[in-house]
This record gives sequence, C-alpha cells and structure tokens, in this order.
Amino acid sequence: MDPRLIDTGLIVLGIGGWLLAYGVALLLTRPASPRPGPAGPDLGSEPPAVVSLLANRWEVTEDAAEASLLDLAGRRYLELRQPGDDPRQTTVHLRTPGPAGLRAYERRVLDRVGALAVGGVVPVTALTFRDERQAKQWAKRLRAEVVAEARTLGLSRRRFGPAVVSSLIALAFVAGALVAAAAGHYALRSPDEDAGLPFIAFLFTSLALAGAAGRYTGERDTPAGRDVAARWLGLREWLRGHEEFAALPPASTTVWDRYLAYGAALGVTRVASEVLDLGMGNRRLVWSSYGGGWRRVRVRYPRFWSRYGLTAQHLITRSLLYLGTGLLLVLYRDRPRQWLTGLDPELAPPGPFDVAERVGGVLGVLLLGYGGYRLIRTLIDLATERTITGEVLWVEEWRSASRGQDSPPEPVLHYLAVDDGTADRTTAWAMPSPLRWGCHDGDTVTVRVRRWSRRVLNLQVVTAGRRNRMESTMDDAADQMIAVTMGTAGPRLPDVKRPPRVTGATLLTAEEVGQALGIPVRTPEASPVPMPLGTTYFTTVDKNRAVLVVQVAQGATGDFTWRMNSRRGTAVPGIADGAYTRGDRAMVRSAGTTVLLTLLGKGKGRRQHLPWLLTQAAGRLAAPATPAAGGAAV
Amino acid sequence: MDNFGLLVTLGAVALVLILLIGWAISTYNRLVRQRNQVKASWAQIDVQLKRRYDLIPNLVETVKGYAAHERGTLDAVVAARGAAMAAAGGGASGVADRAEAEHLLTQALGRLFALAEAYPDLKASHNFAALQSELANTEDKIAYARQFYNSAVQTLTNSIQSFPSSLIAGMGGFRPPDYYEVAGGERGPVQVRF
Repeated sequence: MDPRLIDTGLIVLGIGGWLLAYGVALLLTRPASPRPGPAGPDLGSEPPAVVSLLANRWEVTEDAAEASLLDLAGRRYLELRQPGDDPRQTTVHLRTPGPAGLRAYERRVLDRVGALAVGGVVPVTALTFRDERQAKQWAKRLRAEVVAEARTLGLSRRRFGPAVVSSLIALAFVAGALVAAAAGHYALRSPDEDAGLPFIAFLFTSLALAGAAGRYTGERDTPAGRDVAARWLGLREWLRGHEEFAALPPASTTVWDRYLAYGAALGVTRVASEVLDLGMGNRRLVWSSYGGGWRRVRVRYPRFWSRYGLTAQHLITRSLLYLGTGLLLVLYRDRPRQWLTGLDPELAPPGPFDVAERVGGVLGVLLLGYGGYRLIRTLIDLATERTITGEVLWVEEWRSASRGQDSPPEPVLHYLAVDDGTADRTTAWAMPSPLRWGCHDGDTVTVRVRRWSRRVLNLQVVTAGRRNRMESTMDDAADQMIAVTMGTAGPRLPDVKRPPRVTGATLLTAEEVGQALGIPVRTPEASPVPMPLGTTYFTTVDKNRAVLVVQVAQGATGDFTWRMNSRRGTAVPGIADGAYTRGDRAMVRSAGTTVLLTLLGKGKGRRQHLPWLLTQAAGRLAAPATPAAGGAAV
Repeated sequence: MDNFGLLVTLGAVALVLILLIGWAISTYNRLVRQRNQVKASWAQIDVQLKRRYDLIPNLVETVKGYAAHERGTLDAVVAARGAAMAAAGGGASGVADRAEAEHLLTQALGRLFALAEAYPDLKASHNFAALQSELANTEDKIAYARQFYNSAVQTLTNSIQSFPSSLIAGMGGFRPPDYYEVAGGERGPVQVRF
C-alpha cells in the first residue's frame, strides 16, 4: 500500500473522527423547541429577560435588553412618555434614584439610562451606542448576567456539559495520537525530517482540538426550563391573538404594565420593538444634549473632498501642483506639434494639432484658475483658524496608513462630529488620530479648526461626558460572571480588598514631566487600547505628540518586566527597592510594583532627569490613591 | 382569433373570481378568528369574576366574626354577589348589564374593606388579610382581562366596520360586540401622560 495513503488515512481518521464526534455532540445537545402550552394571559414569576432566553431557544437576543427596559417602566422605576403621535418621540424619565433589589442586568439597563439622561430625561432613540466595542462589551455582559440568572433558576445549562467536554478532550488526544502516528510514519521515510515531528504534531493537534472542545457553545434547555418555556409560549400565543397588541407603543406600559415587557421578550410587540434599540446607533442622525436639551443632529461624513483633512503643507503643495501643471499646459501647449512634425508651429499647416492645442490651453487655464483658487482658499483657511466648543457626537476612524506586511495599519485620521449648538446639521471634522485618545462621545470639547479643510488642529476636553458616567461599578463582577459562564474562570480569588489601581497619572504630574523634559506637557491620557501593562502617555501641549510613556506592572507581569529590563541597566542607588536606567528607559521597583518610564519623540535624549522622575514616582507608589495628574504646564 | 380572445376573457374573469373567493374566505376566517379571540378574552374575565364570587362568602364569614353587627354592609355584599351571579348565569343579560352588576359588587366590597379600618382585630386577622390580598390579585387580573377583552373587541369592530371586510361581515352575520366598560373601574384611574 502507498505509504502516503496510510499517512493521509490516519490524519483523516483522527481529525475527521473528532469533527464527527463534535458534530454529533452539537446535534444531541441542541436546545429544545417546547410546544406552546394552552394560550392564556397568566404571567409567571420569571423576569422578561429570562423569558426572552427561553422563547428564543436558549439564546439571548437583543430583545432581552429592550424587554428589561420596558419591564423597568412597567414596574415604575422609569416612565415612558410619548408627546405626539410618533412613538419614536418617546422619552424615558428616571423616577426612582438608586432603587434597590434590581437584578444585575436590570441595573445595567437602568445605569445606561441614568448615564445618558440629561435632567433625568433621555429620548428613547438616544439609548443606542456610538462605540461598537463598547456596545459589544455591554451586550456581552448583559448576556452573561441573563444566562447566570436563568441557570440560578434551573432553567438553563451550558450546552456542552462537563461529560461532553471531557469526552471531546479525550478524543482530541486520541486524534492527536493518530496524527502523531502519521507524522512518525512520514518521518521514518524521510531521514531529513526532525525526530520531534510526531511529538509536535501530537501536541499541536491535541491542544487545538481540546481548545475547540472547551469553547463556549451556548446554552440549552433543562427539564424545568422546557416546562416554563411551554407556559410562556402559551402567553405568546395569547398575545399574538390580540392583533392590537403588536401595534402598542412603548409608552403604553402605563396601561399594560409588565405585559408589554413580556410581549417584547416573546417577540410580539412590533412597534415597541422597532422603537427601542440598545445596539449601535445611526452615525448620520445623532442625538445631542449640548445646551441642556435634546436635539437630533444630522452629520455628514465627507469622503471625496480633495481638501478634506489635509495639512497646510499638503494643501499648498497641491495648489502649486495645479498651478504648475496649468502653466505648463498654457505655455507649452504647441510643443508636441513641434516635436512630432519637426516644424515651427507658426509655419505648420492647420490640422488635428490645432484642436489638441486649444483643449490643452483651455485645460491649462482651468487648472491655473483652480490652483489659484485653492491657494487663496488655503491662505484664507490658514489665516482664519477658529475655536469651537461643543459636544462630541461621534468619533470614528477614517483613514489609516500601512506599516508594512507584518503590522496592522495605523490610523491617521479620525472623523470627529461636534455639535456646537448652532445648527441641526453639521459636517464631521478630520482629526489627526493621536488626538482621538483625548475625547469620547458626549464630552464637551474645545477644538481649534480650519474650516475650509475641516482639519482639527488641537482639542481640549472641557467636560468629560457620559462615557465616564457609564463606567459601571458592576463590570468586574460581570467579567467574572462571563468567565464562569464560558467556563474559562480560574480559581476564585480570596475576597480581599483590592489595592487602589496605580497608573502613570497617579505617579507623575504633567508639571513634573514638563519640568524634567523642558517641554510643555498636557494632562496624561491612558492608552485607549488594552495593554498588558497599565500604560499612560504624556504628550506635548502643541501637537499632542507623546514624549513619555509610563508603564505600571504588578504581580507576575511586574516580576517579569523587572527581570527583563534590569539585567543590562545601570543601577540608580537609593530609590525604593531598586532602580535602573538604560538609554531612554528607566525603571523602579517598589512593593512588588514595577514602573517603567520610556522617553519618546521630543523627549528622547533628555535622560538626565529620569532618576528624578523615578524618585517622584517611587515616592507615590507608597500612597498611589491620590491622583497626581494636574493641568498642562512646562 | 375570436376563440382565443374569448378564452383570454374567460380566463381573466375566472382569475378575478378565484381571487375574490380567496379574499372572501380569508376575510371570513379572519373575522371568525377575531370573534373567537373576543370569546376567549371574555372567558378569561368570566374565570376571574367567578373566582371573586368564590372568595366573597369566606370574606363575609370572616368579617362577621369580628363585626357581626355591621349587617347592612354585609347584606349589601351578599346581595350584590347574588345579583352579579344572576347576571352571569341568566344568559339574557348583555356585557353592559354584567359590567353594571360587577361594578355594584366592587363598590359593595370597597365599603366592606373600608369597614375593616374601624376594627383593628379584623384588620389584624391573617385570614382577612389573605382574603383581601387574594381579592386584590383577582381585581388586578380582572382589570387586565378587561383590557384584553376590549382590545379584542376593538380589533373585531374595526374589521366589521371597515370596507371591504364589512361586506363579508354583513353576509356572515358578524355584529360588533359590546365593550366591557366600568363606570367606576376596578382599578384606580390610569394616569396616562403624553
């Protein structure tokens, strides 16, 4: 028999067999579709979000959040008012400040309303998110909370139970052994191959398949869950029989109390569900609360404007390019005839060249005019920079630059939509991406701009907006819950009080960094992207360029960082438990925390003051709770 | 050519007729479905009202144990219950008469509960508290059942009175049912803020 056939057969048997077992497991554990019980209006004790899970075959859909919102209104924690005929004009009014006894996901929905409300009021269509990552995170946490509640009630369980997962992991090792056998068989025939190939094949296959086996695959029914689901599906049949119910607006919770919430959970409230949305919002029609009231602002995002977002240098260069090309066309439009015919243009007979020359001439004049116009507008643009203050409506990446094959593209320009309260329409500004770190939707900002090119030159946050208010205190608990739900939670940590979080902003002030580097530095910003180390950037006041990055690491990460960086550094005696400098880097270690300072950009080379900065940071490591960050200064 | 024209005309007429018959059947079935929904919703009201009738004798007996001399109020409740049951079982009465009888019973019960305020021992009685809670729960269910009934009535009435479904409703003998309207209301006035 062909030895290659044996190799292939073993691999197919191993991996194919495992995939087949996985498929069978999926088939056998698929959530049930209970038959609806007798149609009737009786409500049970389960909350609407859990009912939504049961009615949607053990899947949490966006109905859960909407039903919870309606339920909060039905239970009078909120009030929904509709001022006109259009249900989309419904507003949400907070009624009970900080009510007790709410479930985690109900609290999450209520917190969202509370964070967005201005004067206790928020339009129902303004509850959508403006940041996709935030929306996904919020929905994920809510989903985990609903699933946890359903499991507590005994109505739901993990689709792949421990027995299924264990069996699949065992099969993964069998599959790994078969693949290793194939690799060993191949290695016997190929003396050049590494002897460790079977082991690598076994390890890679086993781990990959075992990892897939342990992956969260959703929820499934329990016997109690099936009974309860059947009862609720009976209510769904009942509500479906009432055609008017589907057309009820959200404000009708005043009359229908919790029925509307359960209707939304069961998917029978067409109008209410159309109006309510707790997902991503519309970037072109955004609610603004600037000035104290709520207004809807239409936002335009230019894509094909040749001047949009360009720097002064680029604008002038392009203008000169147009002017130069126009001038060349006007002055030298008859040269091609001369080159091609070898005749003096004055003496050459009339022909097709006449038309081309005329067209070239007209084009040249047009380009001259356009280039001149652009140059004048550019100069006016440079001379008429303006400062506007308003609310950030939307921030979104627009253009990015490639950084080579192995690196992801780097954002260059962001759209920044700001409502300054003067009109219900606006055009987004083009903001250099580094400035994006400083602002979030809902913040009140002062922006220095060039109106014609729509470029943002500088940005200052005047008041932090709703984003800060939405930082929920429940998020740590929710993340632990997600880990438990997905089956990825580690051992439970002892219930000890956490030490206050140490960041660059609690260790150094802008004044101190400014003094040390001799550069005006603004209040530090935490990095917007998650990083293994707590990272804070100190940036220049004028161009917002990073000059110093402060990284803080604790625990195992801190130990590793210390060991890696202290090996080749120069010791700086007398600072905390130890301190080193190495080129533009310096680090200090105190009570298990490692602080790493790195000079960047204009800050590079200004190393002489690094030890002083280390001393300041080490001094605050003992009492990090007090924020050290101040305003921008030299 | 003539035959072909005739065939086309006949085909078109047949198609129109089929569509018309299909629409008529669909409309009739829809009306039947809506009428059944009205009946089912009424049945829900009926269930809750009967539950209330069953609770009242116990309530009267409990009150008698603490306030036997309040005979007038107790007799009024018993009489109102009897009248409501007669209206329910008589068959001749319509929804309006039934609603009126239930309204009188609700008022009589209201007076009975007001009476309890003057008798601390009665108010402290577990049996009385349980019955009061049960009755309040039943009143809530009656209120919701009434909303569902009126919603179903509205849907059927709209279908009966709207053109062209009114043609089928007329031929099928469908009549708009009465709304269940309560003069005082089992529940307090609803504060709808628009």
